[in-house]
Amino acid sequence: MRRSLLVVALAALAACHAGGPAPRPVAVACAPDRIGAVVVTGAARTELAPLAVLEGTLDDPERTERIAHVALEGLRAEGHAKATLVVTRHVGCGVELHADVVRGPKYRITRIAFETADEFPAAKRLAVLEDGLGTVNTVGGTYIAYRLQRALKELKRRYADAGWVGVTIAAPRVEIHDDTIALTIPVTSGPRFTIGTIRAIGAGKEARATVLDALGLREGAYFDRAEVRAGIERAQRVLDRKIQLRVQVAPDRTEIDVDAIVEAP
Amino acid sequence: MIRVVALALLLAGACARPQYLGAAMPAPCTEKDMDGCLGWMVERDLTVAELGGYDDDALRTYVQRVVDRLARASSLARAPRVLLADRDGTYATVGARIVVARPTLEKLGSEAELAGILAHEMAHLEGRHTVASLFGPHPDDDWLLVRRDAEAIADERAVYLLARAGYAPMAMARALARVLTVEDEEHPAKEERISRARALARGGTGFEGQDELLAQITGMVVGRDPRAGVRIGDAWVLASLGVAFDLHEDDLVRAADDLLVIRRGPVTLTGYVLGAPWATELVKSLVDRDVRESELGRLTTGTIRLRASTDDSPLGKLQRAIRATLPQPAPGARVAILERPDGAVVFEIGGRRSSRLGLRLATEDEIEASQPARIEIVRATKRGPIAALDSCRVLLDDPDRIVAIGAPIKCADRRPLERPTEASDRAAAETPRDE
Repeated sequence: MRRSLLVVALAALAACHAGGPAPRPVAVACAPDRIGAVVVTGAARTELAPLAVLEGTLDDPERTERIAHVALEGLRAEGHAKATLVVTRHVGCGVELHADVVRGPKYRITRIAFETADEFPAAKRLAVLEDGLGTVNTVGGTYIAYRLQRALKELKRRYADAGWVGVTIAAPRVEIHDDTIALTIPVTSGPRFTIGTIRAIGAGKEARATVLDALGLREGAYFDRAEVRAGIERAQRVLDRKIQLRVQVAPDRTEIDVDAIVEAP
Repeated sequence: MIRVVALALLLAGACARPQYLGAAMPAPCTEKDMDGCLGWMVERDLTVAELGGYDDDALRTYVQRVVDRLARASSLARAPRVLLADRDGTYATVGARIVVARPTLEKLGSEAELAGILAHEMAHLEGRHTVASLFGPHPDDDWLLVRRDAEAIADERAVYLLARAGYAPMAMARALARVLTVEDEEHPAKEERISRARALARGGTGFEGQDELLAQITGMVVGRDPRAGVRIGDAWVLASLGVAFDLHEDDLVRAADDLLVIRRGPVTLTGYVLGAPWATELVKSLVDRDVRESELGRLTTGTIRLRASTDDSPLGKLQRAIRATLPQPAPGARVAILERPDGAVVFEIGGRRSSRLGLRLATEDEIEASQPARIEIVRATKRGPIAALDSCRVLLDDPDRIVAIGAPIKCADRRPLERPTEASDRAAAETPRDE
């Protein structure tokens, strides 16, 4: 009876819908195979959006479990690093999901320190870690471990590009006090490699001399991949030829040999 | 006086907002609102960098009204903003935007079906599925499973939103049947999606709105828009910019639509169109620049820098990531860029030799021949399968559909160009110009 009344109501709304004012939201019938409601306690519905959107969908307990995990990760990414979520199933309008959240404190990073005495610019180190338009993995922001891991791989690449070829970055130490987090990141930078030999390969003698001059690199200077690339760009322009860059770590020396290979015209 | 000027400059500098593609970045970008900032950037990329928007204000307003209606039945605090795109692929994106592809609209048969597609995208926004994927997957998640869950949930939730908004919920299954063409691993199988949507909608009734949708898409471009680039005789014509590129007798043409790829002796030329602000940024970044003014506009040749920006500020990193997704020549490529008022054409020049480009103004005949096919609706004059009625010049509707007298039939006023697909790209063999 209730169902047929609903159908009549829907039909009536549909009839006056065309070109007229927008219909008011219509209640949808309950069904035993559907999630009729998601009741959230301990947090706003928007904080558990991936779970709340299950309202009206088919009941699939395994899927619900996976989505609950995603929703919990979302809460933790907002800084509630110790949040917990328990989802229980109840009979109501079809299946009702009750999501009980304990957010716990919202943690903020108060300190990020690097254990190293190397000359890599300190501000650059911090900038590489910073994520989410300056809201994540920065002082004052939230801590998200897997994004920090990703950023540390990038930092390692930057070190290598600046000549610290053998750098190792150990797992960060995370100290949690009340609602604050302090991160200490041990960096073993090792020796900073310098430029070993610089060679121009291919083309004629004169062209090779032009390339070496245009590269503007000096043997013994600290290796800097950005500077080397800029030199190659300059040499290409001067010579109007395509030039390939090859860099090789010299065996038994803390040097990197640079080859500029001039392609045939 | 100098002090006053210095102070004014200082104040102006303090107020200056960072720029992105020729426009000042809005508040979300400077107030650490990642979602809002990215939404703005995505819109700017589509409309002014890629020239991928479909410009039809009345149609956009109509689609927006459907979204507004659905939003009232959803959990969203405000309705997402609709953008129309001239390329395949309808999707929701961060910053509460829904990009609706014109090719999707072409395929739909009613307002309720359109609402179904929009409701699916809105469910992604409700579930914050777009935000979850912002920085790539959490390494502990089975990412494909999470993606497939999100798609299935969006389908099911869409049926629910349709019913709540007063639309016929069965339209969701029909819409899926019309728009799904290819299977991919991020979505459940097509048949599974349709049958699930059908099962959820069973027994529900609501507004269909066939005439409403058809009235709105009458006159809409259908198929690929040749104004973005088409080969006409011995020229590649870019009617959207009003220019043409002459092909030589010995040119080997590999593709000549949105992307022109030709081999001219030892030189390979790759041509495509970009939006003016993005082209201007590329021009500024060229090394070894040579600028010439001509009646066609400013023609700049040069080389794309090898080095990317090293700005590691939060905004700098975001801009770098977004810019990397825009169409652009590879680092180190030699290019020629012709800037026109409505956009620019870029030629990447492969090989060490130069080639005279042969760009000129397009003729009136070429512009006329580049006009796209458009949708027209005709009414059935008798009952029967559409194929037997012979009512259209070019039929877009299902030929087996049985219609009653007066029923609308979707036609085109000329043969629409097909959109190039990956398969057709692969199949495209090198052909001499005159074949």
